[in-house]
Amino acid sequence: MSDIKERSPNQLMIFGIIGGLLGIYLTFLLPLIGDKIHGTIGEIINTIAPVAGALGAICAVMWGADAVRRVAKYGLGTGVPSIGQIAMGMGIIAAMFGLAIVKKNIIAGPIVAVATASIIGFIIGWFAQNVIKMKIPVMIRCMTEIAASGTIIIIGFSAAVAGNFEFGNIVNLVFDNGIMLVVFWVGAMAILHPFNACLGPDEKQKRLLYLAGSTGAITMAIVGLAAIMTLGASGVITMLLGIVLWLIFYKKFWDEVYNDASSVVGTGLIPKTEA
Amino acid sequence: MVAIDPILLHILLIAISGTLICTAVHFIPVGGAPAAMAQATGIGTGTVELAAGSGLVGLITASYMYANGPAPGIPPSMVMVLAAGAMGSMVMLASTMFAGSLVYAYGVAVPFASAQVKKDPITGERQDLYMSKGTQGHGLPTICFVSGVIGAALGGAGGGLIYYVLMQIYSPYIAASAAAVAGVFTMGVFYVNAVIPSYGVGGTIEGVHDPKFRRVIGKDVITSFFVSLICGVVAVFIAQGMIA
Repeated sequence: MSDIKERSPNQLMIFGIIGGLLGIYLTFLLPLIGDKIHGTIGEIINTIAPVAGALGAICAVMWGADAVRRVAKYGLGTGVPSIGQIAMGMGIIAAMFGLAIVKKNIIAGPIVAVATASIIGFIIGWFAQNVIKMKIPVMIRCMTEIAASGTIIIIGFSAAVAGNFEFGNIVNLVFDNGIMLVVFWVGAMAILHPFNACLGPDEKQKRLLYLAGSTGAITMAIVGLAAIMTLGASGVITMLLGIVLWLIFYKKFWDEVYNDASSVVGTGLIPKTEA
Repeated sequence: MVAIDPILLHILLIAISGTLICTAVHFIPVGGAPAAMAQATGIGTGTVELAAGSGLVGLITASYMYANGPAPGIPPSMVMVLAAGAMGSMVMLASTMFAGSLVYAYGVAVPFASAQVKKDPITGERQDLYMSKGTQGHGLPTICFVSGVIGAALGGAGGGLIYYVLMQIYSPYIAASAAAVAGVFTMGVFYVNAVIPSYGVGGTIEGVHDPKFRRVIGKDVITSFFVSLICGVVAVFIAQGMIA
């Protein structure tokens, strides 16, 4: 395993947090710029703003999938899906808390949510390690990371549907119509599927990350479909960009699979033996 | 009775309901992948899937009961909501186990036997005679079925209790959206509390008669109680954030 070059957990964590939060904050900042610029360009900026949230969430999906990979490698005994579901469970609690508690200081919401998720994840990881005694050395760190990435995924995709991350707005456009359940479930699938599909003795990080990108992108396409209902044009862009990204990532994953697979040699038919 | 601050009471109730869900998971006979191949006793899927499947049905029935009080705008009593949740969960899990049993009996053709006890505590039937070599039992013996139904009742009641408490907290602030917010938050708490015990039991448990039950339930319940307590605090703070 050591001869294969891998992205370090810290690299991916920075990628997930910075990329995720950047995407989420762009949904808030781009309209501010868009409103300043009048005319068509301003409208275009306003229309593409929610798409950034979904792109940020894809960064978090890749980070979360790697965290799932690191912890699930030890064998949880319950299957990989359980960790994707707990990630979204912790994520949704922290996301609702972070976005609601800040009231008018909307800008602080996502950061408070990520911090809360990290605390909840740390506590659950600590209990899993020290009370339930799971004997997984990376449990605490990975649980913290998974909770934080789950929160970014939830807020990112919610922002893509609602247009921004103001709690009242999200309640109206994401909770009331049940899109939250789609975000919850498809987000959980996005984070748990890559390792669930790739696990095994020849599992490689590169292949897993490409698959994580593709599950994140297909989630983005589905969320885009939901966003057409709430936001109209922005949703169409989210969906189309999601499909394009999905095709790109899936092709890369496909190439990796071919690369890693043992070579298949055509031997032809069994030669007729001469008696 | 000692008067408790209502906010504190809400937090405590959420902690208790989380603990109920955690306890419920231990009662449900979960076999995981080995059971899917009829090589272990229990239902052939994961803890989380079963607990969540039955619990979410319980949540639906509980919320239906909550929405249909004695008069418009007046919610029914807590007991009614809890009972509705428990009933929904029990029906769901019982039908799952029944359908699974049909497949085990007539599709896979295995006699139902438990590896953990020599005699079924309810029927008194010998178990070890019917065990296939190299397996950990198969199918769903009577004790597993009964244990599963009890577990589903606890889980459904737990889910219903969180929903009831959250509706009490959120309804004054966001009347129209309270059900959606409370429902999604309940789902979050439900998943956290379904996964924690599944780590504790290590994926498979036969039910209340399994020696594992006594071994792990203590530490799982402690974990679940503290984690749900945090969830309760968070839930109350969300309501504070709703005050415009």
